[in-house]
Amino acid sequence: MPEVRQFSQLAPAPLGLSAKWWMVPLAVVIVGSIALAPLVLDTYMVNILIRAFFVAIAAITVDIVWGYCGTLTFGQSAFFGIGVYALAIIFTEYGFGSWQALFAMGTSVVVAAGVGALTGWLSFYPGSTPLYASIVSLVVPIVLVQILYSGGTFTGSSSGLVGFETFDLELESWFRLAGLSLAAVAVVALIIMRSDTGRLLKALRDNDERCSYLGINTSRYRIIVLVLTAIIASLAGFGYAAFGAVAAPENAGFTFGTRLIIMVALGGRGTIIGAIVGALSIEVASAYLSGSLPYVWELIIGIALIAVILAFPDGLLGAVGRLGRGILPSKASATTQLRPVATADTGPAGSEVAMKVTGLGKHFGSLSVLDGVTFEAKRSELLSLVGPNGAGKTTLIRCLSDGRERSTGFVAIAGHAIDRLPPDRVVQFGLGRKFQAASVFETLTVAECLRVARTHRARPSPVSTSTVLELPAAAIAVVERSGLSDRLGEEARNLSHGLKQALELAMVLALEPEVLLLDEPTAGLTRAERQAFADILTSLASRDRLCILLVEHDLDFVREISSRIIVLHQGKIALDGSVQEVVDSSLVREIYTGQQAAACGAEP
Amino acid sequence: MLTVALDIVTTAALLFIISSGLLIVFGVMKIINFAHAAFVTVGAYATLVGARLGLPWILVLPLAFVTGAICGALTEAIIVRWLYRRPLDAILATWGLGIVIGQIVTLIFGREVQFVQAPITGTVDLLGVDYSAYRIVMIGAAVIVALVFTTLLNGTRLGLSTRAVIMNEMLAQGLGVDSSRVRLITFAIGSGLAALSGALITPLSSVDPNMGLPWLISAFMLVMVSGGSLMTLAVSSLMLGGLQVIVSTFVNPILGGLTIAICAAIVLRIRPEGFARA
Repeated sequence: MPEVRQFSQLAPAPLGLSAKWWMVPLAVVIVGSIALAPLVLDTYMVNILIRAFFVAIAAITVDIVWGYCGTLTFGQSAFFGIGVYALAIIFTEYGFGSWQALFAMGTSVVVAAGVGALTGWLSFYPGSTPLYASIVSLVVPIVLVQILYSGGTFTGSSSGLVGFETFDLELESWFRLAGLSLAAVAVVALIIMRSDTGRLLKALRDNDERCSYLGINTSRYRIIVLVLTAIIASLAGFGYAAFGAVAAPENAGFTFGTRLIIMVALGGRGTIIGAIVGALSIEVASAYLSGSLPYVWELIIGIALIAVILAFPDGLLGAVGRLGRGILPSKASATTQLRPVATADTGPAGSEVAMKVTGLGKHFGSLSVLDGVTFEAKRSELLSLVGPNGAGKTTLIRCLSDGRERSTGFVAIAGHAIDRLPPDRVVQFGLGRKFQAASVFETLTVAECLRVARTHRARPSPVSTSTVLELPAAAIAVVERSGLSDRLGEEARNLSHGLKQALELAMVLALEPEVLLLDEPTAGLTRAERQAFADILTSLASRDRLCILLVEHDLDFVREISSRIIVLHQGKIALDGSVQEVVDSSLVREIYTGQQAAACGAEP
Repeated sequence: MLTVALDIVTTAALLFIISSGLLIVFGVMKIINFAHAAFVTVGAYATLVGARLGLPWILVLPLAFVTGAICGALTEAIIVRWLYRRPLDAILATWGLGIVIGQIVTLIFGREVQFVQAPITGTVDLLGVDYSAYRIVMIGAAVIVALVFTTLLNGTRLGLSTRAVIMNEMLAQGLGVDSSRVRLITFAIGSGLAALSGALITPLSSVDPNMGLPWLISAFMLVMVSGGSLMTLAVSSLMLGGLQVIVSTFVNPILGGLTIAICAAIVLRIRPEGFARA
């Protein structure tokens, strides 16, 4: 039975329980009002709200892709339009019936998923930028609308499709159907976004690079999210067309895509509820105002968008929430238990090679930053990489952890050649990289950051939040010694510089790496923090048998902890030897004091 | 065949003029100005007003440029300045501004389509082909824009500061370059260029409150593909603009309209740095 340690700040159980109890009357109120509203409201309002409910579903998908995953998407309207046209075209061509309805729904899902996958493949690849993904999402609705325009009578061209027979339902039933669909989508979205999987999506938004270096294939996650939201948006469009019995190119267009973004931005991104509030209020208001004040209404929307972005980036819901937080006591964070994971036996103390580098070079045109770098490092070795600024130390670290970086040469991590593989694959061979500037997930709590780091071992649940966090002993040791264990529920952005560094180290250790790359881990740390770091590193090398490669400027620090030192100078290995050899070498003194002999000595 | 060749060159010239303003804003600020289309529209309406007042064409162009530059400076000071750390939000805010400008223009001028007489009419005879004289003038205009730009960037103190900010903003600030002033001026010039291009395209197209929008996407794509340099912008305008003309002429105009967007997206997928360093 593994030892269980509990670090809860408060006793959250009664609070958690009452939060659950809250939900029941809330659900009753929502379902009740959806059921009763059509009896109270006038027909015009009911009509508008039915459409608004379907639009709100599409707005939720925008919120997931943008608010949670961080990709500003103009393209969800295209998927909505695919649903609209799948229904309109099939009902126009084959008439209305049950098999036609199923066929149309199937077509809508399949086409939306296909287009979503294609868009995702175009938008997300190792090294793609959020701006590029945005631009691609902009192209999708534009292309789709042009296809619709050129489709002749099949798509109805610019006038769209009307006059097809569709589902014959009472207005009240439509209202209840649409309202309950919206509520269901919202509940499912909220559950997923608050689960461990939702946290992972936020981690992608906060820091895509850190995610890749935790062995997470970020592109794949983003593509999956896009495909799923594309399907939901297309079904919303399907419902919209089934009710309205009209398909227009505007339903798929770029302008509608931006309108969806405006709804989410005004309501509050990254909240789901904000998307619904924004969608319903804009749809209802524009139904009443766009008739009487067409241009002024658009003007108001434009001004409101600018004002919200400048003054309340988290939207109306966020602004209200901030006011509320000042009055209500802050919510107690869920308790998290750290549990040491049963680590695989590291085997007898041998001297296996953990990292092998041969003839590694990095060139920019005719400029060589690294040239002919060759060395090996064994397990339990604490290897320090020193050299003056511009010697290529950080470039070397990058070439070791990302297969696409180096120009020439061979790198193997724990016996696996890294070829041209992206960081997430190299990490899976057993590499952990800690960046120079602390790289964590700013809006996630300490415990959530650590959980994201375990993604490759413990697949996150899509519905629940686990209360137990299994970590390797080395990571737990860092968490406890640094004092992070008392602050597991705190957001990472509130941590001090030193604690962020410790958190990132713990996250990297949670990967259970064989090779650990550290780029100036002690920069900016206090004397005491630095000493603690030295102790942690030496014990990682001796007890956990990690192969550590450390980039460091501070020669005293290096001398104290290293088992071996490599001196890099002008992109080449100038010296590779024991601490004593390097410290006593005249070459090192020359390189560091910049005497002329250094340049000659560096050339082999 | 010669007509197609001329179409390619003149289309590329138009695309280059419209994209160049977007390019310097993107180069200096690393943000995409979604209000660019609105500034093109502003320039077109300034031309309309100028033409109605009976101003000579040579005065109408500066009028359009100055109107656009003033709008741009105000935009930078009121909106964009606060959003440099949030580039995706800057896209949204400038899109909101685009809506606002479009609606104001509609409220003042109405939403109907209007026309402006071209200063140079008729055709010229080039190697046996009659070709619109005004379109030929566009080639000259593009060359002038490129030359003025290059001189500004390479020959003046402002240009030096701008290049410094493009390369390394922190360092430039540390060396005493007032980067917020550079940004203000850059944004004003970029918007002025948008308005100028609006003025130049008015005789070729009608004037309406949403006229800038169709150009916006192509301009974006060209800027993204060009990777930030004027030279590669010219190359990409010529290549993708040329492809657009060829597809429109020989295949289908609707597909032609999509050529730039689709090709650019694919080029960027394969080569994220676009045509830069190609």
